[in-house]
Amino acid sequence: MSRPPLIFFAAISLVATLCSSFSPDHPTNRRILVLLDDLAIQSSHSLFFNSLQSRGFELDFKLADDPKIGLKRYGQYLYDGLIIFSPTIERFGGSVDLAAIVDFVDSGRDLIIAADTSASDLIREIAAECGVDFDEDQAAMVIDHTSYAVSDTEGGHTLIASDDFIQSDVILGRKKIEAPVLFQGIGHSLHPANSLGLKVLSASPSAYSANPKAKLSNPPSLIGSAISLVSVVQARNNARVLISGSLSLFSNRFLKSGVQKAGSSIKHAKSGNEQFLTELSKWVFHERGHLKAVNVRHHKVGEADEPAMYRINDDLEYSVEIYEWSGKSWEPYVANDVQVQFYMMSPYVLKTLSTDQKGLYFTAFKVPDVYGVFQFKVEYQQLGYTGLSLSKQISVRPFRHNEYERFIPAAFPYYGASFSMMAGFFVFTVVYSYNKQAQS
Amino acid sequence: MGKSATTKDAQALFHSLRSAYAATPTNLKIIDLYVMFAVVTALIQVVYMAIVGSFPFNSFLSGVLSCVGTAVLAVCLRIQVNKENKEFKDLPPERAFADFVLCNLVLHLVIMNFLG
Repeated sequence: MSRPPLIFFAAISLVATLCSSFSPDHPTNRRILVLLDDLAIQSSHSLFFNSLQSRGFELDFKLADDPKIGLKRYGQYLYDGLIIFSPTIERFGGSVDLAAIVDFVDSGRDLIIAADTSASDLIREIAAECGVDFDEDQAAMVIDHTSYAVSDTEGGHTLIASDDFIQSDVILGRKKIEAPVLFQGIGHSLHPANSLGLKVLSASPSAYSANPKAKLSNPPSLIGSAISLVSVVQARNNARVLISGSLSLFSNRFLKSGVQKAGSSIKHAKSGNEQFLTELSKWVFHERGHLKAVNVRHHKVGEADEPAMYRINDDLEYSVEIYEWSGKSWEPYVANDVQVQFYMMSPYVLKTLSTDQKGLYFTAFKVPDVYGVFQFKVEYQQLGYTGLSLSKQISVRPFRHNEYERFIPAAFPYYGASFSMMAGFFVFTVVYSYNKQAQS
Repeated sequence: MGKSATTKDAQALFHSLRSAYAATPTNLKIIDLYVMFAVVTALIQVVYMAIVGSFPFNSFLSGVLSCVGTAVLAVCLRIQVNKENKEFKDLPPERAFADFVLCNLVLHLVIMNFLG
């Protein structure tokens, strides 16, 4: 009688658990909302979208002003990632707006946003929230007269072939990108105090941002290598945002076309766009460079369990396990620069952890001769990796009264003197008492 | 001339002191030797402390105090036992010696406790 509802309930909960959703333990971002200006983009950029889908992402294509779109329903996020390929949108449809997108990133979810020439104010505001400032001139594009791509159709040198990549194996993959990347769009700059933003693809020193159709009346505000063509921002909650100044960077036309940089005689059969975008999207969606640290353990040398407090001059061992998400599973992270601090207002001990290549990092040191409340701190911030900030508090007590040395070597002469006085006293009494002499 | 006179006087003084001391009874000489031993041990400890520092100060005080206390008690014994001393004419020397032994026992008890 009550069987069918029970089975129904069990099936529902099974389906619910099988739907892989975003969680910090399993960052398998699966569902991505793609907002487009024009559904033709879905086919004109199909190579990029197919590469995402072949890696297991479910893309949900919607028009940017579709009134039914929403990121959240009843407090739950519907998507794990957001791609905004709608540079000219003035107002999103449905419940998506600037605040909703900022909350989306604040919740730890990833964002890819592409601007283009005549990008709308909304797109510029979203980028500004992430710390990226696009050129204020609405008609400006990045122009480079020495680093443009030689092509038959376009003049004006707005089609740029750039190979100023960021030096990072984590973000762009271990394999070097041989061919330059084709770019046509607007440039942006990162504020130099912005420590979370990185310029992945910069313009060459001869680039500048100006309106290609008008005469240049004032010196351009964005020039040279300060112009960033593609940047990423890794937020402190480890959400990753990719901001590109060109939508055609992602298009099939650029992915398939050959490229020849002006001034160079090498003609590449295929541009570096596909490799660049594949590797970069792997990084943005946490398939590379996402670390977690688990199992922080510390104990006295020779013991196995964690004591409640240490004593000064104790020998202790500290260990932590660090893993990196590979897209499918947690692999051991191998590095030789993870350090632990034994910290109370300032680090009393700073040691580099040695690794067993299987993700376990360990070290041993002596507690300093200072008592108080210390912390085991691991602060690990590397370019392109999520930041690790671990801290475990532990007290250190001074000696108990019976833990001091019993006999102090510096005082041996005094011990010797006292005992020799006692011996002398005994000898004196014997000699004095049994002294036979002429008088008394 | 004057130099040789003063040295001659010093030598004469020294010789007279030595011959006078040779006349003291043997038991007093034994006590004197014992006092010298205690004072020299105390001096050695003070020199050691001056070199090394006074780190276990209680041990230093205990060591020096045992030497100084021993010397003081031995001097008291000498005073009481000396036949030329009118003040203690009626005191039997055995009584003095017994007092000496008991005081030394108390002294060494205190020293052992304070030595650490």
